[in-house]
Amino acid sequence: MIALSVAAALAVFILYTAVVGGATTQLSPSQLQGHTGHVSLVGAVVGPVTGDAHAASGLRFRVKDVSGASTVTVPVDYHGSVPDLFKTGRHIVVAGQVRNGIFVGDNGTLVTKCPSKYAPAKTTSS
Amino acid sequence: MADLGRAALLVTFGLVVYALVAGALAARSRRRRLALSAQNALFAAFLSTLVAAAVLLVALARRDFTFAYVAAHTSRSLPLGYALSAFWGGQEGSLLLWLLILTGYAALAVWLNRRNRDLVVWVVPVLGLVATFFAFMLCFVSSPFVVAPAPGDGAGMVASLQNPYMLAHPPMLYLGYVGLTIPFAFAMGALLSGRTDERWIVATRRWTLAAWTFLGVGQLLGAHWAYVEIGWGGYYAWDPVENAALMPWLAATAFLHSVMIQEKRGMLKVWNMILVALAFLLSLFGTFLTRSGVVNSIHSFSQSPLGGWFLGFIAIMTAFSVALIYWRLPLLRSKTKLESLVSREATFLYNNLLLVALCLTILWGVMYPLLTEALRGETRSVSKPYYDFFLHVFGLPLLLLMGIGPLVAWRRASLRALGKTFLVPLLAAVVTGVALIALGFGSSTPGLLAYTFSAFVAASIVLEFQRGTSARHAIAGESYPRALVSLVGRNRRRYGGYIVHAAIVLLAIGIAGSSAYQTVREPAHGLRKGQSMEAAGWTFVYRGLTTHQEADAQATRATVDVYRGGSHVTTLHPGKNWYPVEQQTSNEVSIYHDPRSIGDVFTIADQIDPKSGVLFLKVLVKPLVNLIWVAGFVFVFGSVIAMWPDAVEQRRLAERYAPAAASART
Amino acid sequence: MSVALVLGAVLAVVAVLLVARPFLREPSPVEDTLVEPDELDRRRLELVEERDRALAALKELEFDHRTGKVSDDDYRALVGPLRRRAAEALRALEPRAEARHERSEAGTPEGTPKGQ
Repeated sequence: MIALSVAAALAVFILYTAVVGGATTQLSPSQLQGHTGHVSLVGAVVGPVTGDAHAASGLRFRVKDVSGASTVTVPVDYHGSVPDLFKTGRHIVVAGQVRNGIFVGDNGTLVTKCPSKYAPAKTTSS
Repeated sequence: MADLGRAALLVTFGLVVYALVAGALAARSRRRRLALSAQNALFAAFLSTLVAAAVLLVALARRDFTFAYVAAHTSRSLPLGYALSAFWGGQEGSLLLWLLILTGYAALAVWLNRRNRDLVVWVVPVLGLVATFFAFMLCFVSSPFVVAPAPGDGAGMVASLQNPYMLAHPPMLYLGYVGLTIPFAFAMGALLSGRTDERWIVATRRWTLAAWTFLGVGQLLGAHWAYVEIGWGGYYAWDPVENAALMPWLAATAFLHSVMIQEKRGMLKVWNMILVALAFLLSLFGTFLTRSGVVNSIHSFSQSPLGGWFLGFIAIMTAFSVALIYWRLPLLRSKTKLESLVSREATFLYNNLLLVALCLTILWGVMYPLLTEALRGETRSVSKPYYDFFLHVFGLPLLLLMGIGPLVAWRRASLRALGKTFLVPLLAAVVTGVALIALGFGSSTPGLLAYTFSAFVAASIVLEFQRGTSARHAIAGESYPRALVSLVGRNRRRYGGYIVHAAIVLLAIGIAGSSAYQTVREPAHGLRKGQSMEAAGWTFVYRGLTTHQEADAQATRATVDVYRGGSHVTTLHPGKNWYPVEQQTSNEVSIYHDPRSIGDVFTIADQIDPKSGVLFLKVLVKPLVNLIWVAGFVFVFGSVIAMWPDAVEQRRLAERYAPAAASART
Repeated sequence: MSVALVLGAVLAVVAVLLVARPFLREPSPVEDTLVEPDELDRRRLELVEERDRALAALKELEFDHRTGKVSDDDYRALVGPLRRRAAEALRALEPRAEARHERSEAGTPEGTPKGQ
């Protein structure tokens, strides 16, 4: 019994430190205002989608909140692999940082989310 | 016909409620005929659920679009196999599959144990309780038999689901998930009846093993599906949906081991009750996670009515289990204590702690975004680094324990004896480790540890088989091959278990090789015809594009010649398919299975520009990845051996538990 | 539609029949009580499991010794207590068997009714 509680306490401690150290904040476009750190942006793709993710200028599109009444859209500039399911209207997650008013996505972190389907649809560089 | 389906489900609902209420009443007041009646209600519930399932299957086969479910998940052009698999493609159908398997398992389990009357009398109402929830959902919340004016054609099935995996992966998983309900019901039944004996464990041993095997195979199928079809180059992404199946599997693994201790030493009774309830609750939670999309956002939770009901049911079952265990705590207390921290019991205990710790860290990772959103209004989430960290911290010691456990004696092991038995495996591990470092594998510490520990475990497993065979050869004078066969035949659980351990070793090596030692080349710039790129000694030359028409897709493929050290090895064709009906592109990866490294050369056409012919090619060289799939087969083989009925043991158990009848006749 | 109705009705009838079957087969039974293992039976079961456990442990100790996992010294130290435990369990079972024999001789009704 004592061994178990010690183990549990240890586990909690490890968890706490690991989680605090490793967690990233997920924000929707309406919440992004003022955050300058490294975050994950969650939202729905708003067209027009221009550019090329493998070219120097990058893939450019805008993102708005998945649900809710907010009309805030955030411009995104992304380089790297683009999942096949990516298109206007899709829910996506991309990690990155706001620079000069544009959300610059980290290379290869663009992921599409399809909650109602079986197979997790995404590409990740792993 | 939808009316028949609806009626059949209502009949099922009535029957399982009866099984619950009448069953509980019969158990409390010891009424024999009522107890039998409740049992029969479970058998009948299976029949009526079967009728409902048949109605849905026929509607799917005939593309009867008056069924809203059929219209939403199939189309006229969908091949029959996939149309039938749409049974579990949507929420309502997969609930029906759950209920069908549950009532089927319940009927079988009750029938097989019909002579064990005083245990079964309490198992029936528990099974009735679980079935009542699913029947209720199917009748009143989420029915597959909703009718609507038939559209011209159905919505069709998502392109990425149209492959053989859709036929195998979900049913396998469900056979596993639902299977965990049976040991749970028997455990709770044992607590309700106030029994202190191990009969419930003996009765459900094979059920747990079978469910665990199905769940494991289902996950491997899912991983393979992701690997070859979704094609991002990996097989597991720590997605909540994937974790949903891993968590109950880990809890069930812990349970499978700790019941062995209860059998041998009579210890850990409370722990086993907690574990079996945890495995069951996690299987419910897993179903809930997969079907409700809740983890993406707590807001999508409210979009589906299912979420609230499921959570409520999980809460009720949790409270039920906790209350029951607490109430029977005095009965469960055992007198036996752990004699030594260096004994097989102790290693099993460590194994359990590690498995449960890993399971809980995954659960925490899955729940974290929901909790932070609810408590702080800001969603924070964890990803691969978090999970990888704990996989290493808990998984690597687990791997090592697999090798240590069998070498340690029960009760108490002296250090001298340990030294002797450990010597060869330890030597194997050290030699492997040194050799690997010399060959440059020191680049990844977890990878190196995984390989070294695997060598240790592999050596200890081989030694187990060798020592046992030699002993049999000495005792019975059989030839070595015969001795091996009879050794395994007489100790199916032990040696079947060792084979399963061997499968896990293969899995560990495969995972380590394909993650810690893989090479990934991302396209920095596009390739023009004739240009090449290199990765880990392989050269890839882009030759050009081709297009052709497939059944319902326009396929574009890049021709890539693959060379190793100057000689041509193969030609790969990664590309994309465009599905005009669904307006979607799918990635079609091209993989070369390299026999030399038992691994894969994985090519992805990241981006194709048809006008300029420029290809952005992504390449992954993944050594040893195919061991993962081989491990699956070894896993099943080992499980089947462990599960194989043993006539001698059956006789002994029958004699142990049936003498009440025998003595009555004397 | 009427086909569905008929089939549904048939299903409902079959279900009711199955559920009512135990009552229909034995409308007025001699005995309608589920035999519950009494204190003696429970104790016996406990002892039987104890015996099987002790015997299995002995068998495993022999096997472990023969395959070299347990040294001679350890074997000598462990086998004595295990043998004693097994013997105790076997002995404890004997008077139980006698007691039950006496009870059934005295005519205490103790039978599981036949049939389902």
